[in-house]
Amino acid sequence: MSSVVVITPLVIAGWPVISAAVTAAVASMGFNVVQSAKVATPVIDRERIRPPAKVDIELDDSEILAGATSDQEIVVEKDGIRATFSRDERGALKLCMEGESYTKQQLRQIGEELVGRGTQQFVYHRVVTELKQRGMSIVQETVGADRTVKLRVRNV
Amino acid sequence: MSQEELEIEIDPSGKVTMRTKGIKGPVCMQYADLLAQIVGREEARERTHEYYETNVHEHVRPTVDVKQHRR
Repeated sequence: MSSVVVITPLVIAGWPVISAAVTAAVASMGFNVVQSAKVATPVIDRERIRPPAKVDIELDDSEILAGATSDQEIVVEKDGIRATFSRDERGALKLCMEGESYTKQQLRQIGEELVGRGTQQFVYHRVVTELKQRGMSIVQETVGADRTVKLRVRNV
Repeated sequence: MSQEELEIEIDPSGKVTMRTKGIKGPVCMQYADLLAQIVGREEARERTHEYYETNVHEHVRPTVDVKQHRR
């Protein structure tokens, strides 16, 4: 038997830490990182009448701490979808999903998965770093079929 | 004596579930406090029968000094 605690993550860090987590997470979903929005392949075909679907997703439990860099945006693409991570006016993490051949519902679903993966990567890095700093040891690490990360930790 | 361990699961949305194994008494709650400070906002906590057992050995307490910026 055991004691059990369930914790909802708060994503609070500077842009470099958050962008590193996002970059690692989106790569695992097959997205390619584009250097900046200016050089991204246009998703919108101006010849067409119908504009691409667009969905904004905000991560309420997040705060991107103000930093020296003004370039706080990551653009990633895959299969005609463009996802832009940025810091909104409140300082929270925001994701803008755009895709010509997708419904808003599809874009929201994919976007929420992207945000979830980024959050998972952020939490994993933070937990492992903080526990190791306290002299604890990760004795086993596995990833389940549902992509849940399982860690066994001992206080050595 | 059973090995003292923490089992930590991070689901695909980033939500964390931690179970203490072989840790008796209030010390296991200190580990829960530590992880909550590292990760974010505690949603639920359950004490099982092991919590109420007495420990023969003195445990090394986890250091809880994480600086967390909360809005």
